[in-house]
Amino acid sequence: MLVRPFHQEEIVSHLIMFHGRECPHCKKMMPLVEKLEQESSVRFDKREVWHDEKNADLMRSYRQDIVPKCGNQLRVPTFLNTETKDAMCGEVEYEKLKDWALRQA
Amino acid sequence: MKKRCWRCFICNDIHYGVTPPEVCPTCKVLHAYVEISAEEARKILGGGPDTSMSREDFRAAIERFTAGNEFEVNPDQAKVDLLLGGVFANEKNHGLKYCPCRLRTKNWEEDLRIVCPCNFTIHETYKGVKDGECWCGLFIRRK
Repeated sequence: MLVRPFHQEEIVSHLIMFHGRECPHCKKMMPLVEKLEQESSVRFDKREVWHDEKNADLMRSYRQDIVPKCGNQLRVPTFLNTETKDAMCGEVEYEKLKDWALRQA
Repeated sequence: MKKRCWRCFICNDIHYGVTPPEVCPTCKVLHAYVEISAEEARKILGGGPDTSMSREDFRAAIERFTAGNEFEVNPDQAKVDLLLGGVFANEKNHGLKYCPCRLRTKNWEEDLRIVCPCNFTIHETYKGVKDGECWCGLFIRRK
């Protein structure tokens, strides 16, 4: 029987960052996300939604989970835990992003 | 109630709404609007010369739009350039000048709400906020 080694990374791989190429909030958040990934085991699955229709459809499929927490709209950037359906959107401070991401683990 | 298309029988102004204007804002004629199909409205609006709008034209249009309002176009030129790039990419790829900081739902009526400029004055990022701005930051409250 093959026993897979435990990777902390696998715990948080269910986090998605939906973003837009021409969204200034997303542009500002991306380095913070990358910093968090460097400093911790958190990993985001980054999905651009305006130039990739599959990613857009994926975001739409979580609409009922996202919009109540994002001003009743589908906004970017949106950070989503696909397991708990917890979502956070918009431009936030690094510490808030970190707290949210670590809480998901 | 469903919005429909209307045409002024005097000057061909086009109106999209639940009811037509009582007085045509262009020729000032009373009760001048007749209901037409969306297809006919599209043909009238889409035909003729000079129907396209460049990024510079749109930039000038939103400057005129904000003049006299309590909000203005963001003075951060780099941010505006990025956003207008997105707005025009969305128009090219998806048909209308959708906000680059939200996502269309694929429901026509719903998605009209995110065409730039949207009605951001009711949004939580603007309404009652001292340094309020629209969701994407293209428009900010005038200081």
